[in-house]
Amino acid sequence: MFKDLRQFLEKLEQEGQLVHYTDEVMPEPDIRAISRASADIGPTGPAVLIENVKGYKGKKIAVNVHGSWANHALMLGMPKTTSLKEQFFELARRWDSYPGEVRWVDDPACQEVILDDFNLLELLPVYKVNENDGGFYLSKASVVSKDPDDPDNFDKQNVGIYRLQVQDANTIAMQGLPFHDIAIHMRKAEERGEALPVAICLGVDPMLSFMASTPIAYDQSEYKYTAAINGVPMELAKTTDGKLDVPAGAEYVLEGEIVPRVRVCEGPFGEFPGSYSGARKQVIIKIHRVTHRRDPIFENLYLGRPWTEIDTLLGLNTCIPIHKQLRETMPEVKAVNALYQHGLTVIIAMESRLGGYAKSVAFRAASTPHGISYVKNIILVDADVDPFNLVQVMWAMSTRIRGPQDVIVVPSTPGMPLDPGSEPPGMGCKVIIDCTTPVAPEPKMRDVKMVELIPESAAFQKILSDMHQKIAAR
Amino acid sequence: MKCIRCLEGEASVVAKAPDGSGAWEIYKCARCNYGWRNTEPAKMLDPATRDPFFQMVNVDLDKLLTPCPIPPLRK
Repeated sequence: MFKDLRQFLEKLEQEGQLVHYTDEVMPEPDIRAISRASADIGPTGPAVLIENVKGYKGKKIAVNVHGSWANHALMLGMPKTTSLKEQFFELARRWDSYPGEVRWVDDPACQEVILDDFNLLELLPVYKVNENDGGFYLSKASVVSKDPDDPDNFDKQNVGIYRLQVQDANTIAMQGLPFHDIAIHMRKAEERGEALPVAICLGVDPMLSFMASTPIAYDQSEYKYTAAINGVPMELAKTTDGKLDVPAGAEYVLEGEIVPRVRVCEGPFGEFPGSYSGARKQVIIKIHRVTHRRDPIFENLYLGRPWTEIDTLLGLNTCIPIHKQLRETMPEVKAVNALYQHGLTVIIAMESRLGGYAKSVAFRAASTPHGISYVKNIILVDADVDPFNLVQVMWAMSTRIRGPQDVIVVPSTPGMPLDPGSEPPGMGCKVIIDCTTPVAPEPKMRDVKMVELIPESAAFQKILSDMHQKIAAR
Repeated sequence: MKCIRCLEGEASVVAKAPDGSGAWEIYKCARCNYGWRNTEPAKMLDPATRDPFFQMVNVDLDKLLTPCPIPPLRK
């Protein structure tokens, strides 16, 4: 698998999934426009290496690295034509290999160059991700921190992607939300009146970016998960001050600390629901040292109205934990599609063990760790419906909902503050839409049978597709 | 200089094009922390044409939402 971003970019190049943009572009609005365009190409779209930015001559920006299901499949070491459903089940299988192995290397690539005198706004080719952002954002940086009460516990070391506003030469404002793991570290450090050391890692192994945006348990290690899913050990290095562990092959590592008991104005920022979050009072990070590889690549991510790179990055990693947590006690759950806005809408395919069971599954989904704040709309479908195929989901909704029994709203629950429907921010509701067929003792629907599936069609589909491709290639 | 978002006079230059081309400068407001580059699209640079929704004139910054409030110190 891929040790670092560069290895993955090489793979994308070999597979025809990397475009080099070499004409001169302006930081604004061109970089966001190119990023948006690459995402809009759709499920087979390429990553883009932007190599000639006015004023930042010699610096390279990688965007849309995770931006398509083709690239996502390649990240998993699968053919780029692998279906989403196949990627889901392969990931679910590898998930159980946790924990993988980590090892430390000397003289890591991420420390080929060490800088104590820098201006982040000049060193990094930053740009406005969306027009009305409050400043220049790192939207795909993995932030590493430790539990101040248990600093020797490797598994409680957190790696998470949080939005970071580069405010000046060495100051970065960061959004931590109360349910983020880093917020626990921040709270403990501030209760102690201490600064919290952090390392901001840019341009890392694509699987680490994937795991850093996955809602796993507080005492589970993103590094060990990355190793488990990659099937090879994760190579780490100590930061130059020895306080934190960082990916040895990172393009840039910004070493610093969160200033205790200070909040400053940050934002707005165009967020993953496709809306701007307002300006907020957030913590600041002071960067003391920057290390980077020679000829570093600055990787960043576009997010806005879906579908964008963040929707692919957060897609299956939102599905799998909910799928696993449900199946611990409810093996009737067959697959979970939580691709929409980090799980604000979830579609669960399941078998009904008893009458009303779909509602039980919905309650369970709403009370998973991620589900408490995020999961708002819960759509339950029968096991013969592919939850990743929206045509089938809409068919289930069209033909199996009986309004009064099957649509339930639970008001005044926790909500996701960035959801424009969360009012006040942080409060929300659960909407349960049960599209499953009733089973006993619940009375049956009218005596109607759905048309059978045609299992023989799969073989013919392959034959027809091959014939079609041959004709198209002429 | 004047911040184009909060219109207070606490903005200053914080970065210049690092390749020495003089292509642009970046400014930051020390009060509301807005950051901008002088080569952004023209409508973003003039307070008269900026979207009023995002302006922060006379906004009490102390009253902004604080998602993670400062906790009490441990005794």
